[in-house]
Amino acid sequence: MQTTRWAALLLGGLFLGVGLWTSGALGEGQRDRAIGPLPPVPVPPDNPMSPGKVELGKLLFWDTRLSGDASTSCASCHDPTLGWGTGQALSRGYPGSEHWRNSQPVLNSAYYAKLFWAGEVTSLESQAAAAATGNVAGNGDPVMMEERLRQIPEYVNQFKQVFAVEQPTIELAWQAIAAFERTLVSKAENVPFDRYAKGDQPALSPEAKRGLALFQGKAGCIQCHNGPLLSDDSYHNLGVPENALFESSPLHQITLRYQHVVRGVPEKVYRSADRDLGLYYTTKREEDRGKFRTPSLRELKYTAPYMHNGVFASLEEVIEFYGRAGGTDPNKSPLLKPLRLSDQEKKDLLAFLLSLSSDQPLIIEPPNLPDYAPMK
Amino acid sequence: MRRRLTSWCIPLLLGAASAAWGQALQPLPPIEPPKTEQVELGKYLFFEPRLSGDGGVSCDTCHDPATGWGDGKALSTGYPGSEYFRNAQTLLNAAYYKRNYWDGRMAGSDLPTLVRDHLTEAHFMQVDGRLLAERLKQVPEYVEMFQKAFSGEPTFGRTLTAVAAFLKTITSRNAPIDRHLRGDRSALSAEAQEGLALFQGKAGCAQCHTGALLSDQKFHALGVPENPDIFADPFRHTTFRRFFRTLGAPNAENYREDPGLYGVTKEKVDWGKFRTPSLREVSRTAPYMHNGSLATLEDVVAFYDRGGGQHRNKSPLLKPLGLTAGEKRALVEFLKSLAGDPVIVERPELPDYTPRKLGQN
Repeated sequence: MQTTRWAALLLGGLFLGVGLWTSGALGEGQRDRAIGPLPPVPVPPDNPMSPGKVELGKLLFWDTRLSGDASTSCASCHDPTLGWGTGQALSRGYPGSEHWRNSQPVLNSAYYAKLFWAGEVTSLESQAAAAATGNVAGNGDPVMMEERLRQIPEYVNQFKQVFAVEQPTIELAWQAIAAFERTLVSKAENVPFDRYAKGDQPALSPEAKRGLALFQGKAGCIQCHNGPLLSDDSYHNLGVPENALFESSPLHQITLRYQHVVRGVPEKVYRSADRDLGLYYTTKREEDRGKFRTPSLRELKYTAPYMHNGVFASLEEVIEFYGRAGGTDPNKSPLLKPLRLSDQEKKDLLAFLLSLSSDQPLIIEPPNLPDYAPMK
Repeated sequence: MRRRLTSWCIPLLLGAASAAWGQALQPLPPIEPPKTEQVELGKYLFFEPRLSGDGGVSCDTCHDPATGWGDGKALSTGYPGSEYFRNAQTLLNAAYYKRNYWDGRMAGSDLPTLVRDHLTEAHFMQVDGRLLAERLKQVPEYVEMFQKAFSGEPTFGRTLTAVAAFLKTITSRNAPIDRHLRGDRSALSAEAQEGLALFQGKAGCAQCHTGALLSDQKFHALGVPENPDIFADPFRHTTFRRFFRTLGAPNAENYREDPGLYGVTKEKVDWGKFRTPSLREVSRTAPYMHNGSLATLEDVVAFYDRGGGQHRNKSPLLKPLGLTAGEKRALVEFLKSLAGDPVIVERPELPDYTPRKLGQN
């Protein structure tokens, strides 16, 4: 009992000094940003928040008319009851296609500087547009979607009130959706780790506290999973195993090749395409092959399966993967080294990871959507 | 005896009429036959829903051989989530037009581009050409057929060429009117022959429906009644507004009639004008007009008999005809003689996707 209290005090103290000792201990020569509760959500100056905008964005988030064949909404692949993802290794695609990456949770996405697994866009507004118009995601035509919104009297009124415009425009729809998404954040009072970081010592179990120390020390997680979001917003190659679906599923093979085509890779790269090249599509630099943006670890209790291709079903598998220094890849990050974690240490790490999630999942019920009406 | 005399006189009259009104009626000239392997591939692709964005719409969805290569509806269906605002025209003899679509916005000399427009437009099949090519590469039978047809792998461009090749084979064959024009005096009934005379004479149809295609390929406003569904049905009105916006036609949200050619030219004189459709195979392609607002050939004849509808740009060629009931029947009878043997193409059994060896693309 006495020992436990001492350990808690010690860990608490260490936590406060986290930026000081973690990186030093790992010899990376640079400080990792401290982990801790999320700051207020950043709001871009050209899309200020308002209650009406958030309410409108919530409707639009669930509105399937913001897709090509009116079948697919944001919520189709970002379902609150499935951790704001799909719960599948690879996201569902637009009808007739399959998606090629894991659907990431929308929760806390407002804190990323780079969105999608390879950071292809840099704002929630552009993420919404890219997803709704992408041919294997929403396949929507912007003008068609805009004209649909104009055919819905409630939306016309709401856009008028929120944006002071006569008619809805699709760009404003993305703004409203982004504003709604900026409300989908973990609340510190619901997250054990955040409560602990704010001084509530019993909020973390002894196991989780030991896991926190491992996270910042021996296991080296904090090298990339740092800052309040527990992501460095940067790119790393971990040698994640390929998802075997790509060997057997025609629809996944089609999407994989299609992505190589639309991203403009050299023909040689297209001809030999057998995996997701991540950041390479954006930079075309060999050293960026297989790099993906570090995801946040918040709310991960609800967001299985894991990694860009959903290849790990459980957190235990993820910990095992890092324990053996990740996978094999010529571009693999030098940060990954065998961890030699004991079984107890693995359990401790898991306990800490679970403390990054809210006690209860954040679930929002689908709203009732307004109907089309003939125009006067 | 009298009948025989009439049939002898027709070609002479016909010549006189056509001198005043343009090209004479004549049999369809042959089209240079496209490469057989391209036609065969094009036939599969015509029925292939994987050529659409969501894998649910194929060419035959709106151009069904069983309904005269149209869809039999007043207004066509369009892509899911949309409804279209014009009648799906028959594909029979489509390869003969100088301009395609009711508003002539596409050049008939470039059938592959016409196919492209149908595949990629948001209101038709809304597919991305790059995705389409990768889908076709996932079907070994297609890879083989493209190799035979083009000596190469599936591409979007070759897909368009193959469908266009198939379209060139959907043409009228053995129509009574053509047998008649070639001198077979028994090809048309007496009533149809009377109708032909009216067509070229009193009824004035041949003022616009001339030449081998029975279309002057020009644009006219007839005052066809508007189809109110375009504005009452939010799905159609959405498509309608988007369409004219993308053509750059101003103020499209306020249109309460289909502006036709105006959408393309933005010239006020073109408001409400549509390209004269061919009358070949017309008895198979009900309902009629750009918005399908006339259900039967009898309705169409009655419409012209009253001098067409009301429109500020209405063609001066339209005047009340004063046709008798018998003359109207004869005209319809003649119109029926413009249909040849049914052009039936069986839906082929489409080959499935098959996994490929990963990394060997």
